[in-house]
Amino acid sequence: MGGDEPPERKPNEPKAAPAQPSPEPAPPIHQQAPVQQPVAPVAPVAPAAAQAAAPSLDPHPEPLPAPAIHAARARPRCVIAAGLRLPQARAGGAFKREDAGHLGAVVARELLARAGVRGAQIDEVIVGCVGPPQDQANVGRVLALRAGVPQSVPARTIGRNCASGMDAVTSACALIEAGRGDLFLCVGVEVMSQYPLTYGPQMTAMFERLSRAKSVLEKVGALASFRPQFLAPRVALMEGLTDPVSGMIMGRTAELLARDFSITREAADTFACESHRRAARARDSGRLGREIVPHLPLGAKPGDSSLQHDDGIRDGQSVEGLAKLKPYFEKPDGIVTVGNSCGITDGATALLISTPERARELGLAPLAEIRSWAWAGLDPSRMGLGPVFSSAIALEQAGIAVGDLDAIEINEAFAAQVLACAQAFASDAFAREHLGRSSRLGELDPSLLNKNGGAIALGHPVGASGARLLLTVAHELAVVDGELGLASLCIGGGQGGAVVLERSAR
Amino acid sequence: MNPRFQSLMPADAPAEGACVRIERPEPGMARLVLDPPHRKLAVLDLALMRDLERALDVLATDDGLRALVVCGREPTSFAAGADLEALVRIEDQALARELGRYGQSVFQKLAALPAFKVAAVGGPVPGGAFELALACDRIVLADHPSSRIGLPEVLLGILPGWGGSQRLPQRIGVPAALEAILAGRLYDPRRALRTGLVDRLTWPEYLLRVAGEIASGRMRCTRFERGAWSWIVDRNPLARAIIRRKVTAEVMKKTRGHYPAPLAVIPLVLAAPSTPIEQGLEREADALARLMVSVECKNLVTIFRLSEDAKRLGKLPDGGSARELRQIGVVGAGVMGAGIASVAASKGVDVRLADVERGPLDKALLAHRAAVEKDARRRRAPRSESNAAIDRLSVGTGLAGFNACELVIEAVAERLEVKIKVLGELAQGLAPDAVLATNTSSLSVDAIAAGVSGPERVVGMHFFNPVPQMPLVEIVRGAKTSPEVLHAVARLALKMGKTPVITGDRPGFVVNRLLGPYLDEAARLFEAGVAPERIDQAARDFGLPMGPLELLDEVGFDIAAHAAASLEQAFGRRMQCSELLKRLVDAGLRGKKTGAGFYVHSAAARDGVRVVNPDVARMRPPASGVVTDFGEQVMLDYMLMAMLNEAAFALEEGLIAGPRELDLATVFGMGFPPFRGGLLRWADSLGARDVLGRLQRIAAAPDILARSNGSERFKAAPLLRRLAESNGKFHAAGA
Repeated sequence: MGGDEPPERKPNEPKAAPAQPSPEPAPPIHQQAPVQQPVAPVAPVAPAAAQAAAPSLDPHPEPLPAPAIHAARARPRCVIAAGLRLPQARAGGAFKREDAGHLGAVVARELLARAGVRGAQIDEVIVGCVGPPQDQANVGRVLALRAGVPQSVPARTIGRNCASGMDAVTSACALIEAGRGDLFLCVGVEVMSQYPLTYGPQMTAMFERLSRAKSVLEKVGALASFRPQFLAPRVALMEGLTDPVSGMIMGRTAELLARDFSITREAADTFACESHRRAARARDSGRLGREIVPHLPLGAKPGDSSLQHDDGIRDGQSVEGLAKLKPYFEKPDGIVTVGNSCGITDGATALLISTPERARELGLAPLAEIRSWAWAGLDPSRMGLGPVFSSAIALEQAGIAVGDLDAIEINEAFAAQVLACAQAFASDAFAREHLGRSSRLGELDPSLLNKNGGAIALGHPVGASGARLLLTVAHELAVVDGELGLASLCIGGGQGGAVVLERSAR
Repeated sequence: MNPRFQSLMPADAPAEGACVRIERPEPGMARLVLDPPHRKLAVLDLALMRDLERALDVLATDDGLRALVVCGREPTSFAAGADLEALVRIEDQALARELGRYGQSVFQKLAALPAFKVAAVGGPVPGGAFELALACDRIVLADHPSSRIGLPEVLLGILPGWGGSQRLPQRIGVPAALEAILAGRLYDPRRALRTGLVDRLTWPEYLLRVAGEIASGRMRCTRFERGAWSWIVDRNPLARAIIRRKVTAEVMKKTRGHYPAPLAVIPLVLAAPSTPIEQGLEREADALARLMVSVECKNLVTIFRLSEDAKRLGKLPDGGSARELRQIGVVGAGVMGAGIASVAASKGVDVRLADVERGPLDKALLAHRAAVEKDARRRRAPRSESNAAIDRLSVGTGLAGFNACELVIEAVAERLEVKIKVLGELAQGLAPDAVLATNTSSLSVDAIAAGVSGPERVVGMHFFNPVPQMPLVEIVRGAKTSPEVLHAVARLALKMGKTPVITGDRPGFVVNRLLGPYLDEAARLFEAGVAPERIDQAARDFGLPMGPLELLDEVGFDIAAHAAASLEQAFGRRMQCSELLKRLVDAGLRGKKTGAGFYVHSAAARDGVRVVNPDVARMRPPASGVVTDFGEQVMLDYMLMAMLNEAAFALEEGLIAGPRELDLATVFGMGFPPFRGGLLRWADSLGARDVLGRLQRIAAAPDILARSNGSERFKAAPLLRRLAESNGKFHAAGA
């Protein structure tokens, strides 16, 4: 769905509105819930606690809602029943011998084991992956079977570039709302290390001629057409990061935003530096450990140990150090460097998406409820502003304002792009011109925005990031004892995705 | 048929002619179907051979017969070799020879039929069944996971005696045939085709049709040909001489001359290509007859049947199938826990492995992946198979993720309170019918069960180190363990490729309890001044895979000392052991894991060169004054009589079902020489009186009397005394 759909046909409306028409949005149920530090079912606070903490199987203290109430509800509610991710590793590093099917299967199997959910209970496995390996075209199915999900459970792979992992979740939500199931395993996975080099069209044509050649003469003829330049490979990674419509590689769209919003090199470098600092702090305080399960990658040698944390975080990164780097995409005047952009990364995140009722039946205490979500389209050459467009819709559907948010994640594709988004959020003019609103969305509190660092430090495994942001926001709400959170990202090709999460009533 | 064979005829043999059917699918073609009504899987017993001969006589009179297909009742059910029941009953060498000649003559009748003969086989095709197929012109094998073909006779102490030792080398050449027969290997379809054991593979569904088309000549199927190689190698005296020397040396190295069958095979196979078949068959029958009546053969067949019987433990006593445990958890990622988890995951069980720290888990994962990949390379298994084996093992710190497990095996520290705590915690999250197993080697299963809710689901599952290699699992029945749990666990052990044996809940169970006095005697011999190599050499010469001191090095002195202490506590003075191990541990020596025990375990020493650790000799106590000259026989008697006497105690206590099970445990659990048939069968071969006499002689030896516990250990068990008085045997006659 695009951002140009009429508002009344949006999939997510304030959930109580149709059933209980009232001047104000219906009081959210969660406000009656006891406010206390919840115990995450799958990611304990500290390693010491992890040894003892088994998922609680106690039945939920509250009785199930009466069926009448359930039927009266306009549509089922969706929750993140459980979630988990692997550490994210710089491409060509720790996970270079992994493949997407295995990496995703590891985190999926671990999630199911810790949640105590049997594979047969799942309605469908939905996997976001931008570049599935050539031998795993439907990597979702490969992943599901390798995770021990029974053969009878269907699985698919979906793609929406950088938001694929988020799309897996919203697809599950759409299915739940349509009454087509109530338990989905959603995985975002990407092994960018394994993106292939391919032969160009000339080399391919030569091989084709050769395979068709019948006589020796024809074969020699085909071989004679070879030129050394045929050997120049096509790099799937670079081509994948280039938008074929605008012809711009992603970094150049960020440069465009820097010019549009007058973002300086210093501002971008400072932002990048802060991302590393925050990530390091979150790692050291055990905050990131809540959502991560260590992983011993394939290809590990005797004596190697598992990767415990995202390995892109640079301790002691200074702005001065970043200032020494040359612009990568537009020399000499550009401001986007490899230092203030996200890294090429391998990673995987798995989430169980369900309804509050089903989660309770399964003995799971949900991490968060999915209050609303939206996808929006925009100018491909300014794709970095996607979060602004999609967040506008999602916030409106949830009936909340930017100021209500206790946790905000905007994926850090590029420092310049996040800074541009922040300006657009705070700009009345932008809101009038592009969002059809009379006033701005609201200023983003810098202390809440990507509080635990972002993709610049943690990495951006493209298919996985969307799911990772949801997991991070859900945990952050619990950590800060907040109510509402926003996860949003920009999408190559000119889109944005946003999901509003609400801490689950429990 | 020879009237003397009547005694070998199976008791339930059906009427003459019932076992083999002749079908006529089309003019000029016949189908010979092995379909004995008294067997689930056809066995080449005398009833079937008799009917096969009759059918062949009928076909020999059929002048119009141009094509013949030999097949089983199902594409994947052909026949399972010769009749082992009859085999163990033959004591007379002349009768054995006649039996061999008879089988040869039946297969010769088949080979002599003028029709074009095709064997259509599938499922297990071992030994005699394969020899029957070899008498045909072509062999078509069903391409099915259950198909296995080969000549495993050597493993039972005999040789392929119905023409196999002659026809296989003629078919695939001397080197390949030697390899196939000496290793007794059963080949899967792909390897069978590659090696030339069969000429064609096809799907089971097409087996009869394809075999018929080939027999009738409508479909081409060339026979496996070695071409010039057969002249360069098989018929070249020089090449044969080289092969003979090399293979004989290899066999001697592996068997130390204890096994006569492989040595008998070598000359037969080498001569086969240049010998007329009738002459070759004569020689084959001579060799077979000699082997068939040998003690080694009887013992090997007995062990084979014992291990087959052990498979029944995987079913409930009433024949119903035991519960299948598909998803298991293992707590403790030490050597044992990691080994158990890895083997189970490799054999198709979903495994969750936990430890308190991540380090051991990483090590366990690495070891598992390496083991799976090595195995896949060896078997040339497809990538998807090894991927699945790797995927099935998941790990985690803490007990999260165990709730779906149907069985949890704990392999944590050998401390009662730790084990009770772990199993108690697990019991809360698991389903009420989940099985709780302990891999304890020295603690009481009952004591552990007392701390857990639902003691009927607590069972001991004692694996041996190293888990992938050691074939035995002791399944320990606690006082309250339910039979369903016992058999479910046995079924899992079988699925893991292990042989289960059920034991009572007493310290050391069976294997470690018997090893205790044996190892202590070895340690005392060392203390008395005997060189370690001499002690170990004596044990290896007896046929054990390694000597007792080498075993102590492998096990680790700390673990051995711990086990010895718990034995002494339970059984008193009889098990009182020397202080040597404790002193060694105190001195920082703990065996192979620390690089030094009785021997030095360095990279250089691993290449077969054994270097005695000079430090350990200094740990001997000052000479006690009593000096005895220890010959090899005396040393063996000390060690083995101590073990045997303890076995008599254990047997009378009812620790294990009977002497057969105890023998199985000694062969599979400690590598007691299979050709000796197990500890008690070996004792029976000596005679109870002889055993008692040896015990009494040892008990009176001055160096024994000088011990702090005197000759307590060598005071004969009551059972042994009774057997000596009645001149009885552990194994009742015929067992």
